[in-house]
Amino acid sequence: MDREFIRNFSIIAHIDHGKSTLADRLLETTGALSQREMMEQVLDTMDLERERGITIKAHAVRLNYKADDGNWYQLNLIDTPGHVDFSYEVSRSLQACEGALLVVDASQGVEAQTLANTYLALHHNLEIIPVINKIDLPAAEPERIREQIETVIGLDARDAVLASAKQGIGIHEILEAIVMLVPPPKGSPDLPLRALIFDSWFDSYRGVIILVRVMDGHLRVGQKIRLWSNNQVFEVDAVGYQSPKAIPCGELSAGEVGFLSANIKTVSDAKIGDTVIDHENPATEALPGFEEIKPMVFAGLYPVESHEHGLLRDALEKLRLNDSAFSFEPENSVALGFGFRCGFLGLLHLEIVQERLEREFNIDLITTAPGVRYRVTTTVGELVEIDNPTKFPDPSEIKQIEEPIIDATVITREEYLGGILKLLEDKRGVQKKFEYLGGGRVMLLYELPLNEIVLDFYDRLKSASRGYASLDYHLSGYRVSPMVRLDVLVAGDPVDALSLIVHRDFAFERGKELISRLRRLIPKQMFEVALQAAIGNKIVARETISAMRKNVLAKCYGGDISRKRKLLEKQKEGKKRMKRVGRVEIPQEAFLAVLKVGQDDIE
Amino acid sequence: MPGVYVSYPFCAQKCTYCNFASGVFPRDWEPRYLDALLREIGAHQWVSQPETVYLGGGTPSNLSAGSLHALLAAIPGRPWREATIEAAPGGITPAMAQAWTSAGINRVSLGVQSFVEPEIRRTGRKHSAELVARDLQVLAGAGIANVNIDLIAGLSGQTAASWNESLDWIERLAPPHVSVYMLEMDEDSRLGREMLLGGVRYGAGDIPSDDAIAGFYEVAVARLAALGIPRYEISNFARPGFESRHNLKYWKLEPYAGFGADAHSFDGRLRWQNPEGVEEYLDARPAPPAVEARRHEERFFVGLRLMEGVRPEQAEWQRFAAPIRRFIDAGLLEKQGEVLRLTGRGVLLSNEVFQEFLTT
Repeated sequence: MDREFIRNFSIIAHIDHGKSTLADRLLETTGALSQREMMEQVLDTMDLERERGITIKAHAVRLNYKADDGNWYQLNLIDTPGHVDFSYEVSRSLQACEGALLVVDASQGVEAQTLANTYLALHHNLEIIPVINKIDLPAAEPERIREQIETVIGLDARDAVLASAKQGIGIHEILEAIVMLVPPPKGSPDLPLRALIFDSWFDSYRGVIILVRVMDGHLRVGQKIRLWSNNQVFEVDAVGYQSPKAIPCGELSAGEVGFLSANIKTVSDAKIGDTVIDHENPATEALPGFEEIKPMVFAGLYPVESHEHGLLRDALEKLRLNDSAFSFEPENSVALGFGFRCGFLGLLHLEIVQERLEREFNIDLITTAPGVRYRVTTTVGELVEIDNPTKFPDPSEIKQIEEPIIDATVITREEYLGGILKLLEDKRGVQKKFEYLGGGRVMLLYELPLNEIVLDFYDRLKSASRGYASLDYHLSGYRVSPMVRLDVLVAGDPVDALSLIVHRDFAFERGKELISRLRRLIPKQMFEVALQAAIGNKIVARETISAMRKNVLAKCYGGDISRKRKLLEKQKEGKKRMKRVGRVEIPQEAFLAVLKVGQDDIE
Repeated sequence: MPGVYVSYPFCAQKCTYCNFASGVFPRDWEPRYLDALLREIGAHQWVSQPETVYLGGGTPSNLSAGSLHALLAAIPGRPWREATIEAAPGGITPAMAQAWTSAGINRVSLGVQSFVEPEIRRTGRKHSAELVARDLQVLAGAGIANVNIDLIAGLSGQTAASWNESLDWIERLAPPHVSVYMLEMDEDSRLGREMLLGGVRYGAGDIPSDDAIAGFYEVAVARLAALGIPRYEISNFARPGFESRHNLKYWKLEPYAGFGADAHSFDGRLRWQNPEGVEEYLDARPAPPAVEARRHEERFFVGLRLMEGVRPEQAEWQRFAAPIRRFIDAGLLEKQGEVLRLTGRGVLLSNEVFQEFLTT
């Protein structure tokens, strides 16, 4: 196709601002799907995506549109994940486009995430078309939102399209704006092949499917391709595009977007951001921006039933086929037995993996409190990266600890400022910027330790703002901090799975809270159980769970043995779901108690 | 020789703590129920003569003399070694007592629960300590000295002092048999539901703590032992020779035949039960199927309820070696020669012990 008639664009929107509905409407209007075929939110195909209204994997759909100028255009809609955990994927998807629709809810306005992704798009020189959506709702204030887009983002919003994806209002205008405003792709079909990988997944029949944007040259079936980052060579066995069904087409040329498969076995071979080149006639330069993505958040995953350890390993391997962003390695906990230390891009990513394991593989999991990776310099000058509290060296061997720091942007309403500022202080935040956005909204820029975000920051932010706060962050570096390991002893035995790394100044307070939370979560045992929090050999908090006095069935009414048996069986079953540590039965929730520490019963 | 249990689930009122299928039902159900009972008893194939009869409730003391007579006449083996009727305290007349003895009854179990008026009222009952004393005199006059008094530890509003007051009355009345039940709270009783839902009407908020109830129970164990009424089963106390022969059959896995709504039966091999509710029983709706008794488990989780303990076989000592060791170390079980039994502390934590003898 002549590049003059190709438009590649993506949609930037905050969750619930109507991205998926708009995408569906575009598909429907351009006839990519008949109304009969329309299932709501066609693009979010994973159950999880549909239920949560989030996009986890990217998609690329080709739409054929006959514009008012009489020409047929090929519009490639690249749908990207919107969550901060996946900002690298977002940036690669944006790199594959020349334009983006910025969808803003006509009553909610600009959110932190939208802002971050818009800046990302501007950074990639994308043409941005503001769309003010949901104008049919009674609370819609399109004029105020238009102004906000101009003041907050600094974008000319005079020509913003007023739309209601739900009602089909403004869809034609959006399509016309794409054709008129988004520039056709640059690059040349005559240069050697360079194609950007912006997503990949594993298909059990066809192996790894790669989504690419061809920047230069051609991509054909039968062609030998090479991946820039690892020099692996594959032979292309299929090329095509999604519309939204996969349609083979034999060739993609410069400017086009589509998929390829080449008998690649694992997604980790086809890394997002990598460049596909021709093996025989290789390009001499890779496309910019490739990064090895590294997990930022770590947690232990353990099967509740210890015999399911093998099952969990198989499941993790299968998931990894499809998700190269998470890592796992075997880990052994005294308390929880054999499990895996897993690394994730962020908390949402963790939740997704956890949910998929439970749902798709039917494994009951205990997840230990998530943490981050610290850089520890030992007294002998060695630098080690540590993501598991139990692997922290003895304090006497530590010269310094550096913790990952993020720049966090929070947008909220003025009336919630008090609570949010306090939260940010509590979380060791350093204010870098404070800006009124008009309309009662405020933008805060804070430097925060990542470790404070992974505990319970989202929940607390949500409750401090009644949900009217949005958050975006990116890693900004490392900072030397006096971190210490807080251990928990149950009946005198340290329970490794309950250890956590905290800032020294908070250690006492958090130790106390953790212990009192555990006292409420661990049921009475047949003997008194001491709970202690310790830093090294120093006990910083102690509580006692008094011994259970009675568990007895008094009645044996009319010889009803079965009732007795049922009750005993029920009690026994309940115990099976607990983990026995030493002599103490600890329920699963206790292992997550760590998560809530620092949260002084905000509910 | 088997025992016979007859269920008569009709009451003048439903007690707040009650989690049985008993209660208040339409008046015309009673004659229908009696007919059904008589048919069921009449159809039973007696393998051997019953040794004991237990007329439980509900409130079987409300049965008319004629009905009671007809009912007991249907059961072979009179005079039985032990024939108990459960009775609501506070209104036993000489005529009633007379009717009971002439029908073959020789033991009465009084559902006193408490001798302290505010506690009694909260359960929905109407008797008083003095009325109970008079009941005992009436029964003695009719020749029934074998009397049990039920007490509940853990009633709403109960305190250490009020509990001792009830025990003072036991001391004064000196019955040969006492049952002490620790209150069970579940969704089957009004009180239990109220506790779960946080209501106030029946005083769920004033239910003593588990620890307090355990304390009351232990006070009762000590005081009754001092009165010469030692504990022979977790909830049962008797002067030697006055242990309930009928109830012992349950704990010793001897056979019994149950008749009426929710009655349970055991023939030495199979266990089964009748439909649970009165209506279901009247309509002869299907009951849960009979199941094979798992003796090797029951002899522990039922048998260990008796203070005399059990005598495990060699294979059982081996199979349960680990939990037995653990519980002996924890002071919940004790071994004396061939006998394994619960300790005093083990009684209060007996469910913890029993679970380990379930093999499934």
